[in-house]
Amino acid sequence: MLVFDHVSKCFGDLRAVDDLSFELEAGEVFGLLGPNGAGKTTAINMAVGLLEPDEGVVRFADEAFDRDPRDAENRRSLGLAPQSIALYEQISGADNLRFFGRLHGLRGSDLEERVAACLDFADLVDVGKKVVSKYSGGMQRRLNLAVAIIHDPELVLLDEPTVGVDPQSRNAIFERVEQLRDGGKQVVYTTHYMEEAQRLCDRVAILDRGRLMALDTVPALITAHGGPGNLVVRTGDGESRHETTDPLATLAELQARQAVDHFQYLPPDLETVFLNLTGRALRD
Amino acid sequence: MNKIVAMAAKDIHILFRDKLGFFFTIFFPLMMAIFFGAMFAGLSRGPASIPIALVDADRTAGSARFVGRLEAAGGLAIERIPSDQALEQVRRGQTAVLVTLRPGFGAALDNPFVATPEVEMSVDPTQFAAAGMVRGVLLEAAGAELQAFMSDPSRMSVTNEQNRRLIEEFSPPSEARDDLLNVLDQIPRIPVLIDEAGLGSVTTGATGGFGPPLEIEQTQVQAQRRGPTNSYATSFAQAMLWTLIGGSVSFSMSIAIERSRGTLMRLLVAPITARQLLAAKGLACLGATLFTSSALITLGITVFDVTPTSYPLLALALLCGSICFCGIMMVLSVIGRTEQAAAGVGWGIALPFTMLGGGMVPLFLMPEWMQTLGNISPMKWTLMAYEGAIWRGFTLSEMLLPCAVLVAIGVLAFSIGATRLRWDTG
Repeated sequence: MLVFDHVSKCFGDLRAVDDLSFELEAGEVFGLLGPNGAGKTTAINMAVGLLEPDEGVVRFADEAFDRDPRDAENRRSLGLAPQSIALYEQISGADNLRFFGRLHGLRGSDLEERVAACLDFADLVDVGKKVVSKYSGGMQRRLNLAVAIIHDPELVLLDEPTVGVDPQSRNAIFERVEQLRDGGKQVVYTTHYMEEAQRLCDRVAILDRGRLMALDTVPALITAHGGPGNLVVRTGDGESRHETTDPLATLAELQARQAVDHFQYLPPDLETVFLNLTGRALRD
Repeated sequence: MNKIVAMAAKDIHILFRDKLGFFFTIFFPLMMAIFFGAMFAGLSRGPASIPIALVDADRTAGSARFVGRLEAAGGLAIERIPSDQALEQVRRGQTAVLVTLRPGFGAALDNPFVATPEVEMSVDPTQFAAAGMVRGVLLEAAGAELQAFMSDPSRMSVTNEQNRRLIEEFSPPSEARDDLLNVLDQIPRIPVLIDEAGLGSVTTGATGGFGPPLEIEQTQVQAQRRGPTNSYATSFAQAMLWTLIGGSVSFSMSIAIERSRGTLMRLLVAPITARQLLAAKGLACLGATLFTSSALITLGITVFDVTPTSYPLLALALLCGSICFCGIMMVLSVIGRTEQAAAGVGWGIALPFTMLGGGMVPLFLMPEWMQTLGNISPMKWTLMAYEGAIWRGFTLSEMLLPCAVLVAIGVLAFSIGATRLRWDTG
C-alpha cells in the first residue's frame, strides 16, 4: 500500500534520497538498511508527509484508494515511532498513550482498552501511572513504540527503534516488532544494524547515499550479492581462511591434505552484501 | 597551551556559528547601548518636557507672572485647559500632573510675610517621578519669585504699607502691635543691611528666613469610587503585565521543547491540521495567561483591597491582553527554535519593549522620538487597559483604543508566527 515512485529529495546540494522506488507488500516487515546519512529518515519523513518529495510521488494506494501521505484519513492508518524518543516526560506513560489516542479520535472505553493493550504490549503495565522521566531508556523506547500503535494502525513506521538501547532492551523491541508482524501489521523498519534487518525483515532495501542499491528478501540478497562464504580452519600449521560456496566439499578437500583441528564456517550476510554493493562496510 | 587555545578557538567558532547566540552577544548589547545612549543623550540636554495641565484659579497679575516664570523655566509642556478636562486627562494617563494655582495665590506671592502661595498637584499615581520633577520646577519658580520680591525695596515698601494699614485697622493698640510695626519698618532695609554685613554673596537662598516659598498639596488622581483604593491598584496592574510577559515566554519555550523533544513531529503526523495544532497552542496560552492574570487580580481584590472601577471592562482588558500576548508567544516560538533560544529571544524582546512602554524607565526621561516609538509597545497598551479598568475609571469608549490595539497586535503576531511555524514544519 505504501508506494515510492522515483522519489528524490534534496537539501541544498545534498541529494538525500535519489530516485527511490519501492512498494510495500501486505503483512510484511520492510527494512530500510543503510549507514547514517543513507536517506532512511528522509524517506520515512516523506512517507508520513512531513517532507514533500522534490521529484516523484509518495502515495498510499491499493485497488480501493489512492491517497496523499498528508491525507487525514491516511494518517489514521499509520503510526510513527521517531528515531528520537518523542514523549511528554512530565506525564505518565498511560497519559501519553491517552493523549495521542485522543488525537487519533479514540474516546471512552475504546481509548482505555487501547491504552491497556499498549501498556501490555510495551510491558509497562506496572509503571503505567509513573511519569515517563522516571522510566529507564529501554522503557521509554518501548513506550515510544507503543504510542505509535495506540490507534491500531495498519502500517507502523519504526525509525531506528533500537538506537542507544542495551542488548536486553533491543531484544524486547525485536519481540514487539515480531508481535506486530504476527498481528498482521505492515512495518517499515529502518536500521543500520544488519543483524536486525536479517532477523526481522521479510524484504530489505539497501540504501547508500540516497540511492537504492538492492531490494529483495534477505536470502535472495545474499545469494545475489553476498559472494562466497568463508571457511576458517585451524591445523598444525596454524589458522587459514578459505572462500567457498560449498563449505563441506572444501572442508573434505582440506582434511584430505592435512588433519583439521578446528573449523568455522562464516556464511555471507548483509554486511558482505553491502560491502560488495558499495565497496564500503555498513558501519563506515 | 595549544590545547587550551584549541578549545577556546572551538568555543568561539561555535559562538559565531550560532546566529542567535551571535545576535545576543553582539547586536543585542549594541541595541541596548543605542537605546540607553539615546535616552541619556536626551537627559544631558534635559529630559523631554513633562506634559502638565495648569489651571489658574486665582487669575491675578501675580499668578500670571508665576505661570510666565514656569513657562520660561522649560522642562514643562504646559497646557491651559479647564479643571475638569485636565483631571480627565490625568486620569486617562495623557497628562502626568495637573497643577492648580489656588485662589489667593497671587496675593500670597506679593505678600510673603502674611501667607504662603498654595498650589494643588493632582498626580497620575504611576507618574511619581514626573511629579517630583514638577514639584522641583514649581519650588524653583516660587523661590525665584520670592528672591525677586526680596531684591526689590519698592515692592517691599508697597507690601509694607498694605500690611501697616491692615495692622492699624484690625489690631487694637498694644506693645505687640508697636513691635510688629517697628519690624515692618525694618523690612525694606533688609537687602541694604545684608550688603552692609558683607553677606551679599552668601545669601542667595531665595527664602532667607522664611519657610518654603510654596505650599504644595499633592493628591493622586483616580476614578471616583465607592470603595477604598490604595497603591496596590497600580502595582497589581504592573504585576499582571509581567504575568503575561512571563506566560508568553514560557509558552514559546513549550513549542521549542516540543520541537527539540520530537513530540511536535508526532503531533504533525497525527490526523490533525496545522490550523488545529496552532489553535490548540493559542488556546492553551490564552487560557493560561487569562487564568494567571485573573488569579493575580483576584488576589489583589480579596487580600489587598484593590477595587476595580469596572469588572466587565477588567474582563475585557484581561481578554485583550491575553490575546495580544498569545500572538507574541507564537512569534517568539518560531524565532527561538531551542528552549534556550526561545527564552533568550523572549526576554530579549520583552525587556526593550517594556522599557519603551514605560514599564521600567519613566517615559518623560526619553527623547520624544523614543516616546513616539513606545506606541508600538504592547506593554504600554496592556498597562493602559489594565489601569483603565482597575483605577483610571475608563469608560467603554475609552477602553476601545487600547483593547483594539492589543487585539490587532495579537492577531498580526499570531498570523506571522503561525505562517512561519507551518512553513518551518512543512
